[in-house]
Amino acid sequence: MTALRVRGLGVLLPSAATPGDTSFPDRPVHAVDGFDVRDRLGRRGTSFFDRTTALAVAACADALRDAGVEAGPQQPQDRIGVVLATTLGSFRSTSDFTRETLVQERPYLVNPVLFPNTVMNCAAGQSAIRLGLRGVNATVAGGPVAFLHALRYAADVLARGYADLMVVGAAEELSPHRVWSQALTRGGTGAACGESAAAFAVIRDDGTGPSDGTGLRILATAAGYGPDGRRAEALSGCVRRALDRAGVAAAEVDLVVTAETATDDHGQFGAAARVLGHRPEHRQVTARFGDCDAATCATGLAQLMLDRRAHPEEPGITALLVAEGVDGAAAAALVRSPQCR
Amino acid sequence: MRVAVTGLGPVSSIGIGPAPFAAGLRAGRSGISEITSFDASGFPRRRAGEVREFDPHRSLRRLKPEHWGRSSQFAAAAARLAAQDAGLDVERLPGGPERAHAVIGTTSGESVAVEAFTAARVADGFAGIDPGLVAQLPAGRLAHGVSEELGLAGESVTLATACSASNYAIGYGFDLLVSGEADVVFAGGADSVCRWAHAGFFRLGALAAQDCAPFDRDRDGILTAEGGAVLVLETFDHARARGARIYAELLGHGLNCDAKHPVAPEWTSIARCIRIAHGNAGVAPADIDYICAHGTGTPANDAVEARAIVEVFGERPPPVSSIKSLIGHTMGAASGFGAIASVLAIDKGFLPPTVNWSTPDPDLAGIDPVPNVARPATVRVVQNNGFAFGGNNSIVIFGAVR
Repeated sequence: MTALRVRGLGVLLPSAATPGDTSFPDRPVHAVDGFDVRDRLGRRGTSFFDRTTALAVAACADALRDAGVEAGPQQPQDRIGVVLATTLGSFRSTSDFTRETLVQERPYLVNPVLFPNTVMNCAAGQSAIRLGLRGVNATVAGGPVAFLHALRYAADVLARGYADLMVVGAAEELSPHRVWSQALTRGGTGAACGESAAAFAVIRDDGTGPSDGTGLRILATAAGYGPDGRRAEALSGCVRRALDRAGVAAAEVDLVVTAETATDDHGQFGAAARVLGHRPEHRQVTARFGDCDAATCATGLAQLMLDRRAHPEEPGITALLVAEGVDGAAAAALVRSPQCR
Repeated sequence: MRVAVTGLGPVSSIGIGPAPFAAGLRAGRSGISEITSFDASGFPRRRAGEVREFDPHRSLRRLKPEHWGRSSQFAAAAARLAAQDAGLDVERLPGGPERAHAVIGTTSGESVAVEAFTAARVADGFAGIDPGLVAQLPAGRLAHGVSEELGLAGESVTLATACSASNYAIGYGFDLLVSGEADVVFAGGADSVCRWAHAGFFRLGALAAQDCAPFDRDRDGILTAEGGAVLVLETFDHARARGARIYAELLGHGLNCDAKHPVAPEWTSIARCIRIAHGNAGVAPADIDYICAHGTGTPANDAVEARAIVEVFGERPPPVSSIKSLIGHTMGAASGFGAIASVLAIDKGFLPPTVNWSTPDPDLAGIDPVPNVARPATVRVVQNNGFAFGGNNSIVIFGAVR
């Protein structure tokens, strides 16, 4: 698949927080501080947004603005699309809607206006409405690997000529539903639950054009599956294929960005390092931002871009992003962040 | 690079497997019944398209049903059937398991697991929920169930683009094959009947009282339904090298977005999507012999879909029928069932009927819904429509093998 160039970034990063709500378990969390949908997007058309949708729309809008693209419902764009990553949409919206069918006097006494929020493509659909984006609009559900799947999907859309620019992103909201789910399945060993949203305006990288120094290139992405518990093998295969496709030597990789769901687990880094044959610098996204599920890898990529913008004088780096999903899913992406000229 | 359809795997309320499903389409059999999968007694409308015959223990070889939600079971069972139908030895793929991908579409993922999670939360609070149930929640497991059941090591992707999601999956499969990323793609979709979708569609005023009657003047909505629908897509080279029967060629697909309203469809956007699909497939409107409609049976969808069709095809469009009249609205699986019906129309030479049809709608002038009885026909090129919440339009085009 084709290489991508990142033209714009929109990101809402989390920080350590204390939920002021007793329905949360007693666990550390990371939340996007001070985000208010009305402040960010206005009152109009946003009153029924759930937080996942609001975060996603804000990140997509910022990414396009950062790329210098004028977007809005008044100037619809047929050649710009959206692909967002998720785990199961807004788990809170879906579960709370379902709850109404159980606790109301009649099971059908649900609020129909909230029904679209239970459908996983709600955030991508609302981003398109808000920004007038009539190109390919997709949602990929895959938890921790979903964002890398979304990058592959966007690369395909661009390579096949279905769109000129794609906004690729991910959003996960903080909710008791997600924190409890992580607590119930991971016990005390898991990372903090994280909330985050990031979106990237990407185009085909045809190898020409100016490098403005802060632009990131996604050289290659690979995804696979290891049946019968062979996920680590699948991850190794993804790393090999990503290097191969990008034509990058293992020795050139300076940094490995991983998405382990427990901070004392370095399994993904270990698997990547074995394929690379050396131990580059390791950055674990979940240690700093919490386990943001589908938004973890997007947050890791955003951090690379923010670092580059903060320190344009530093030499360019080649980074490998890896993730393992549920069951046997694995994916990798090779990213190059050029030095400022 | 050309793309062949070599296997069909329908797990539907009118038949499990290609032969029973084809017989059901041809007979115009209804798969609609009174709901038994949840307590529907509090609902004024209680009919749906449940797949009563589905027994995961019988359908699945490697997947342990107790570890997987109903939608993943549907997807995996449909993929297993499709592999058998294709005569594909998944243990010995010539290009290796890494070249075989699973791409599955869905609207609500593991909706039954989400409901069980929520019921447990209402009863005992979050702390009392079974961790085994939590593990079944991620929607990405629909594709993983397919990869696990068949031992596939390629990309395992779930596309959650609501009610056109199977067409998205088929379209992405097409692209992976033509761009050389894959030899084989298992593409389709799955969803399960659930209480929350039933409630939501009822409150939107979109649920039929008795029958789903697309394109009828008095149509009053959808019936929620379920199932799994998967097709085996291969490159022609791969299919021919192993001497496979080729049902049809997948000619291309088109995608776009209304960017207008979260639930109401938009006819100009759908017309644009039809033209994109034709362009991608290299066909003209005059080439299309049959349109397998999205045809939900809501007043709005059928009017908008018909208007878009007339806009592109003129006043005498090809026959347009809706298999949702037979099996209900299977959500993320719907366009997958439509795709299987499209391929069977080409292979067996008949148009599936729109049943429950009695009264022409003057607002749908020019639309021939193939009323009530299947029709013998020579079908060379079929357009399979899929539309969705979020304005996610996706259309795929199949052709007879030349």
